[in-house]
Amino acid sequence: MIEELARYLSNWRNREMVLELLVVHVRLSLLPLLLGLLAAVPFGWVAQRYRLLRAALLGSANVLYTVPSLALFVILPGILGTRILDEINVVVALALYTAALLVRPVIDALDAVPGHVLAAATAMGYRPVRRFLTVELPLAVPVLAAGVRVASVSNISLVSVGALIGVGGLGQLFTQGFQDTYNAPIIVGIALTLVLAFVVDALLVVLRNALTPWQPRRTKKDGTGQARTAGVPAGGQA
Amino acid sequence: MIFGDVFAWLTTAANWTGDGGLLQRIGEHLWYTLVALAGAALVAVPAGLAVGHTGRGVTAAVGFANAMRALPTLGVITLLSLQLGVLRTGPVLFGLALLAVPPILAGAYAGVQSVDRSVLDASAGVGMTRWQQLWQVEVPTAMPLLLGGLRGAVLQVVATTTVAAFVGLGGLGRPLLDGQRVTDYPQVAGAALVVAALAVLLDVLLAGVQRLIVPRGLRVTARTAHRPG
Amino acid sequence: MIEFRGVTKRFADGTVAVDGLDLVAENGRITVLVGPSGCGKTTSLRMINRMVDPTSGTILVDGEDVRSRPPARLRRGIGYVIQQAGLFPHRTVLDNVATVPRLLGWRRGRARDRAAELLELVGLPRSMGERYPAQLSGGQQQRVGVARALAADPPVLLMDEPFSAVDPVVREGLQDELLRLQSELGKTIVFVTHDIDEAIKLGDRVAVLRQGGRLAQFAPPAQLLTEPADDFVASFVGRDRGYRGLSFVRANELTIHPLDTVPAGASAVEADDGWRLVVDDGGQPRGWLPPGRSEPVPGGSLHQRGGSLRGALDAALSSPARLGVVVDGDGAVVGGVLAEEVLEVARAHRDRRLPGSRS
Repeated sequence: MIEELARYLSNWRNREMVLELLVVHVRLSLLPLLLGLLAAVPFGWVAQRYRLLRAALLGSANVLYTVPSLALFVILPGILGTRILDEINVVVALALYTAALLVRPVIDALDAVPGHVLAAATAMGYRPVRRFLTVELPLAVPVLAAGVRVASVSNISLVSVGALIGVGGLGQLFTQGFQDTYNAPIIVGIALTLVLAFVVDALLVVLRNALTPWQPRRTKKDGTGQARTAGVPAGGQA
Repeated sequence: MIFGDVFAWLTTAANWTGDGGLLQRIGEHLWYTLVALAGAALVAVPAGLAVGHTGRGVTAAVGFANAMRALPTLGVITLLSLQLGVLRTGPVLFGLALLAVPPILAGAYAGVQSVDRSVLDASAGVGMTRWQQLWQVEVPTAMPLLLGGLRGAVLQVVATTTVAAFVGLGGLGRPLLDGQRVTDYPQVAGAALVVAALAVLLDVLLAGVQRLIVPRGLRVTARTAHRPG
Repeated sequence: MIEFRGVTKRFADGTVAVDGLDLVAENGRITVLVGPSGCGKTTSLRMINRMVDPTSGTILVDGEDVRSRPPARLRRGIGYVIQQAGLFPHRTVLDNVATVPRLLGWRRGRARDRAAELLELVGLPRSMGERYPAQLSGGQQQRVGVARALAADPPVLLMDEPFSAVDPVVREGLQDELLRLQSELGKTIVFVTHDIDEAIKLGDRVAVLRQGGRLAQFAPPAQLLTEPADDFVASFVGRDRGYRGLSFVRANELTIHPLDTVPAGASAVEADDGWRLVVDDGGQPRGWLPPGRSEPVPGGSLHQRGGSLRGALDAALSSPARLGVVVDGDGAVVGGVLAEEVLEVARAHRDRRLPGSRS
């Protein structure tokens, strides 16, 4: 198998293709991360303040996250009016998953801001929006970061499913490899997906630390923190 | 509009009955899910309980669960299929079970870990043996997180089974992908809607089971913990 | 009887938690282990029921080495109460209390009946049995913890800082409850606390441990206050130990002087030269009338007849008049005591206990 790999990678055409697919993959997994986060924050904020909406929103988020990715990828064209193999389906679908995943952490994070801090801020003359942006949101970063990390790993993994509907990304290595009964591209694809997930996770940690200089740095041994911050079932998707 | 076509397709009886019909596919899908889940649970539940109870192998278990999370399911399925026999169901089911292990493992392990240390201390102090501690205190307390892990695993398997149609597996992914090949969108969307509905239904069902099984005391405990002030 | 013989506990990282401890906890008595953090008191306690095993030395319960039986078996005969109660959150209060009987094989009905009895014994309503621990307050949870420890009627009760996590008012109530229970049940209790006042209040004998796990002094509480073995014990016992020691001396020899009283609500009150005590129909004090005034002022603390010198002294010092008010069991005024006479009695008492003679 090692020789197979070596042979595959020594061909510059393959390397070029892999690189292209990687770039597409990065784009398709990170853009929804941002969009999902941007969507989750206002939704979460609303849900945190209005108890009735909280149950409804969390419920819908749960249902949304339950839908298998491949199914969502092909249902969206019908709703959005796009063609099946448009990248935008994948982006929207993953953004929806990300948002669904992050609503609960946003709520939890906002809940966790100590009441006396908010009271002090208001007493000093902060108006609600400004207070939200400068006090509540920064304090919410650690919890949010944990959720975003889970979402990023999930997205990076799910983009490859898009290959089944003709969308680019490392998933194409899997479909091609299978059709050609060639192991090498599949292995390269899996390896790169893992590396990408690892690198993005590390970058997110750096980003989180940069945004929260007041937090003591501790090593989180408890990887299962992810299972709990998600709030929605941690099993995830295919 | 497209919805009309999809709706029409879904309401055509012929698409449901007979060989390759939706009913058969639903049955296959459920069967694969059950088998994969059972296989995964058989391995992951005892392993997770053991890790949580003894506290040994925690880093390995957590590392394993996290790494598996990042694995692209399509890649794993195709690779396993190529290695162990193309178009044979066995290897694919093995892959499905493998991918279901992490959430169950994490749930079992987190569940046992969630037992309060003082409760564990007291359970030893009243004279319970290790075995009694496990079954009378740790497992009941672990139920919420354990069942949460199982729920997640079910979703995982349902989704992966859909994808596994690519390597020849039956189930609801079959009409989805087949329809794609002949650009029959109503079929594609129809199958997708059915599998989405199936996933949601299963999750609701499991949520109900969770309510029934989790000891009432734990729900009360969780509720009072969330009470403000 | 619980006996420690040369017990030492050294942990893997080299810390010596307990160093050559020799101690006897008598049957039917409350023995308190007290000391600063790191003195090994909790470790010592946990060696009795083998939650921790000693590095060297032996522990005997009623003459039997604790290592002679499997730990789980041993623990079912020893009650164990910890700071956070450790109640099983997934079981009702009743089932929590019934735990040890069930472990011993009792039928569920019998175990539950016994549990209900115990809830009453610790001052909780039977209806609380159906609730879950999370629904109880801290003080209530602690009572349930004690009930659970007593369920199988073990002769020995181990208590590890059981009242430290509740607020002072609740704590005092629980301490009084424990003393009441003990007077009814007469268990052999080993009690760990970091609070010297709690130790003095509860202990029949108190063991003061120093950091590093060595025994500094083992004596009845009065003796700790009046004859601390060294500077460490003296400073650990704290300030005011002379004053606090007065709580161990009975005030029986104290002269009780008659008091001028005035009925409460008396319409015509003539001025007088001296202090008069305002008393109601039941004979209970309502305040003092200062000389030459017609409006009463609040009085000080009350001393129970037959109580300690400490109560008498405090009554005398806190009274606006010279006399401290003494009351009987119903709260009716009996007379007054003078601060100077209290000190006289205290001095006489101390003189009788010359250094060298153990009381």
